[in-house]
Amino acid sequence: MSNATLEDKASPIYWQKVSPWALLYFVVHFSVRFVKDGLLNLLPMLVVFVTQVENKLFWAQAAGGIALISLLIYSFLYYLNFKFSISSDNEILLNKGVFKKERLTLKFGRVQNVNIAEPFYFTPVDLVNCIFDAAGSVSQEVVLPGVTKDYAQQMRKQIFDFKAQQQQEVQNTEQSKTDTIENSLSISNKEIAKFGLMSNMAILAMAALAPFINLIVDFLEKQIIAKVEGFYQQEFGMLASAATFAMITLIVLLVFAAVMLSVTMSLIRFYNFELYFKGQKFKRIAGLLERHQLSMSMDKVQSIVIKQNLMGRLLKRFTVECLQASSGGIVAGVAAKQNKQTLVLPVLNSEQVDSVCQWIYPWFNSKKLAFKRAERALLYKNLGFYSLLPSVLVFGFCFITDINTLISLGVLVVFSGLVTLSYQRYGYYMHEDNGRFYMVVRKGMIGVHYRVFELYKAQSARSISTYLMRKSSLKSLYIQLASGFAFMPYIKQQDADFIIDFTIKQIESDTRSWM
Amino acid sequence: MFNNQQIMDLPKHSDISFKPLADKALLHTQLSSLLFYIPLIGALIAVCYFNEAFANNAQTYLLIGMPILVAVSMAYNIISVRLRGFAVRDHDIAFKKGVIWQQVTVLPLARVQHMEIHQGPIERKLSLASIKLFSAGGVSADLQISELTHDDCKNMRQFVQNYRQDDATTQAALVDE
Repeated sequence: MSNATLEDKASPIYWQKVSPWALLYFVVHFSVRFVKDGLLNLLPMLVVFVTQVENKLFWAQAAGGIALISLLIYSFLYYLNFKFSISSDNEILLNKGVFKKERLTLKFGRVQNVNIAEPFYFTPVDLVNCIFDAAGSVSQEVVLPGVTKDYAQQMRKQIFDFKAQQQQEVQNTEQSKTDTIENSLSISNKEIAKFGLMSNMAILAMAALAPFINLIVDFLEKQIIAKVEGFYQQEFGMLASAATFAMITLIVLLVFAAVMLSVTMSLIRFYNFELYFKGQKFKRIAGLLERHQLSMSMDKVQSIVIKQNLMGRLLKRFTVECLQASSGGIVAGVAAKQNKQTLVLPVLNSEQVDSVCQWIYPWFNSKKLAFKRAERALLYKNLGFYSLLPSVLVFGFCFITDINTLISLGVLVVFSGLVTLSYQRYGYYMHEDNGRFYMVVRKGMIGVHYRVFELYKAQSARSISTYLMRKSSLKSLYIQLASGFAFMPYIKQQDADFIIDFTIKQIESDTRSWM
Repeated sequence: MFNNQQIMDLPKHSDISFKPLADKALLHTQLSSLLFYIPLIGALIAVCYFNEAFANNAQTYLLIGMPILVAVSMAYNIISVRLRGFAVRDHDIAFKKGVIWQQVTVLPLARVQHMEIHQGPIERKLSLASIKLFSAGGVSADLQISELTHDDCKNMRQFVQNYRQDDATTQAALVDE
C-alpha cells in the first residue's frame, strides 16, 4: 500500500492553465479587492491630496492612470502564474501569486461545496467561475476562473462522487430511494421583489452611507429642502408650514428610495431563482449580474431557520435559511451568509415552506407542530422587568419634568403588549421520525422565528436557572448548534433536564457524521 | 410524536457529582479581584489628593463605599468559587457555575474541535491553569474551566485527545466494514 502511495506521489503533475478570458476575472477581482481593502489604507494620502495638492485634476488623472496600468500588469502576471492541477491523490493543486508565489493544496475530502458562478462578463464566451468552498473561510476558498461550464460541472461531479464514496456507510437504503426523486422550486421575480420589501437590505445600504451623513444632510438641505420649500411657498402660498411639508416630502422620498433600493438589491441577488433537490443535494441558481450556483449536501445542513417579520406577515410570506456549520458565532454566521454558504430561500408561502422542509425533514408539517409553551412565570417576570419598571421610570421622569404622566400609562400598555406577544411566541416541539429525533424551537414578537434541527447535530447543552426559578422547579434551556443556538426559557425543570440528557445521549450514541 | 416516558436508562446530568476547583482557586480569584481594585483605589486616592473639591465631596462616601464594595466582591468570589465544579465523564465534560444565574453545561467530547490551555502570571505562580474547549458555532469557547491545577488541565486535554483518536478509529472501522 505504501509503495502505491509512493508511486502516486512520484507521478508527474500536469499543470493546466485557465482560459485567457480569466484575465477579465483577475482585473475585476483585484479592482474589487483594491476598493474593499486598499482604499481605506489610502485614506490618509487622499486627505493630503485633497487639502495640500494643487492642480488636483492632473494629478488625479495621473494617479488613476498609473493605478490602472499597474492593475492590468499585475492581473496579467497573476494570470501567467496561475496554474492548477487535479492530482491523482484527489487533490486540487493551485500555483498562484506574483511577488509571493503560493502553492495551495485542497483535498477533495475537505471541499464542502462546489459553486458555479456565471459573471456577466463571461456570459458572451460561455465560461464560468468554479468555486471550491473548503471550510467556510474566504481565505480557504479556491476559485478557478474562466473554465467551461461542462468542466466545472464535471469537477463538481468528480468531487461529490469522491465524497459520496467516502461517506458510503452513512447512506442507507432509504436515502437511495429518495436519490432518484428530483424536487424543484422556482420563485417568480415578482415574489423576489416582495423579498425586497421584507428584507433589511435598504437599512444595510443606509448604514453604508452613515460615514457620509454630514455631507448628505448638507447637500439635502441646500439642494432639495430649500427648493421644495420654495415650491410649496410659491405654488400653495403656505408660508408657515412650507418647511414642515418640505421635510415630510423629503422623508417620504427617502423611504421610497430605500424601498426601491432594497427591491433592486433583492432582484440582483435572487433574479430568476431556481432550486433543485436531487440525490440529497440542493442546487440553487439565482442572480441578475452573476448567475450563482450554490450546491449544498443535505447532511451539511445543521439547522433550518424559518423567519417571518412584520412585512412578511402582511404579505403572508416566509424566508427559509438552510444553515451550515460556522465557527465563531454571530460574526462568522454573518460572514457565512455573505460568503454564500447559507442557502436562503427568500420568499415562500406556507405550503412552499412545508414542501421544502419536507425534502429534508419528511415529517415536517407546520400546521401540526404542537408547541409546548414557556411557563407563565416568564410572562410575570418580563412584565415586571420590561413593562412595569420602564413605565415607573417614565412616570418618575414625567413627574419631575412636569410632562403629562399619562405617557407612562401608554408605555405600560405598549410594553405589556409586546412582552405578552413575545411570551406567547416561545415554544418547543420534539418529534420522532424513523428513530431520528428532531426539535423545533419557536420565538418572536411581532414576527416569528422557527429553528428546526436534528438533536444529534447539537454541539452542547446547557441549563440556566436563578434561585426563584429553582424554587418554582423551572429552568431555561440552551442548545448550542454548529450554526446558531436554540434557547427555550422557563420550562419545567424535569422537561429541561430530560431534553438535555436526551440530546447528549443522541450526540454521544449516534455514529453519523454531524458535519 | 415524541415520547419522553419510554426511556428508563437515560444518564442524568443532574446526578453528576461535580469535582471542586483546585485548592488555590479562591486565592487566585481574590488576587485577581484585588488586582482590579488596588489600581482603582490608587487612582481615586490620587484624584482626592490633587482635587480638593472632589475630595471634600466624595471622600466620606468613598471611605465607606469602597471597603464595602471590596468586601462584597470578596464574599461573592467565595460563593462563586464554591458553586463552580466540573466533571469528566466517559463521553462528555460537565461544568457548573454561577451565583445568580446558575448554569450547567454538558459538552460531549465528540464535539470538541480544539482546546487551549492558558496560564496567566498569577496562575503560573499558583500552578493553576484554565482550559478552553471549543466546539463548532460557539461565540467563543463553549466551555472554559478556570482555576484548575495545571496537571488537571493537561490530563483533561490528554483525555479529550485520546477520546478523539479512539473516536476516529471507531469511525474508520465503521468505514472499513
